[in-house]
Amino acid sequence: MDAAAQRTAALLREADITIAATLPDQWLGGVIGALDAEPAIRLVRVTREDDGVGICAGAYLGGQGAVLVCQSAGLLLSANALAGYALHHQTPFLVLAALRGGHDDGYYYQTYKHRVITPVLDALGLPHHTLRTPDDLSIIPDAARQGWLSRRPVVLLAHRDALRDAPEAGR
Amino acid sequence: MRRSEAAGLLRDALAPDALVITSLGTAGRAWRESDPPHLSYAASDPMGISPSLALGLALAQPERIVLLIAGDGEWAMNLGVLLTIAGAAPANLRLVVWRNGRYETGGGAPLPGGDGVDFAALAAGAGIGWTGEARTLDEAARLVPQLLAAQGPALLVLHVEPEASPYRPEGPYAQVEQRTLFMERLLGHG
Repeated sequence: MDAAAQRTAALLREADITIAATLPDQWLGGVIGALDAEPAIRLVRVTREDDGVGICAGAYLGGQGAVLVCQSAGLLLSANALAGYALHHQTPFLVLAALRGGHDDGYYYQTYKHRVITPVLDALGLPHHTLRTPDDLSIIPDAARQGWLSRRPVVLLAHRDALRDAPEAGR
Repeated sequence: MRRSEAAGLLRDALAPDALVITSLGTAGRAWRESDPPHLSYAASDPMGISPSLALGLALAQPERIVLLIAGDGEWAMNLGVLLTIAGAAPANLRLVVWRNGRYETGGGAPLPGGDGVDFAALAAGAGIGWTGEARTLDEAARLVPQLLAAQGPALLVLHVEPEASPYRPEGPYAQVEQRTLFMERLLGHG
């Protein structure tokens, strides 16, 4: 397991996250594996990002911190759950999303995601921060506190290199 | 059975310290009108989110029974959540489907699939360990205690009569205030 993934799990634990709702993404496999191996965090595999929003909101209702780990496209899909539930009920949690479709992505079908994700998050009124390297992961506890103070989800958009120790030679 | 009868059965059988989540619309209204003593919280939009909300609450409060009461229209919006719940398998989560084949609050439009959809079979097929289905009040009176005694997650389908369910004027508290009041009572802070 690489150090960036382990550090992500450790920082989420430091941020008092005890429940992680996850969907797979090629870039997120290490992080999800590290969360699964972290005894202080209960990992829940969900079928759809809306369920992750609901689980994180329910965890907050019950006094626990939660994170939704998914691809950025999942935030597009769950925009109504984020706006209609999380924002309307002023419910804080973290979202760690792989920021697909940018300069570091190599697939035609991913490109639209990078183009639309930040305008959509801005339209929703969701605070978001972009992570470019593993060093940027250190924002996790502060981002969780920002969400709690503002009673809304905070989104961390992670470039590929933020989620791994060393870039691969080819993509 | 009528919704009020189904709500009354659940209210009377449920442990006083259980937590209740209801879906948007008819299910929440009928539960509130049964005057339950239980700490309860009504999900709102979007339809389909209440099962995952109940799952999150159940995971966060593993020592308390969490009961979700949701209409079949709510469930139909998000059947995939059955897999999520079965995978997480919280022992304290109980699920009720109020089944009448129509979107009650929205005016009674039929659900896709009609009356032939078997929600108990869908849940069992997804991996929910205990499922039941009651078409009469007597059957419900027999199965509700079994639902509550089962190792969760468990799901009971209660067939309820179509009844008018008009929108009512809003109460004094907006959703965020209801959320705060729920958390204040549960946790001692909002």
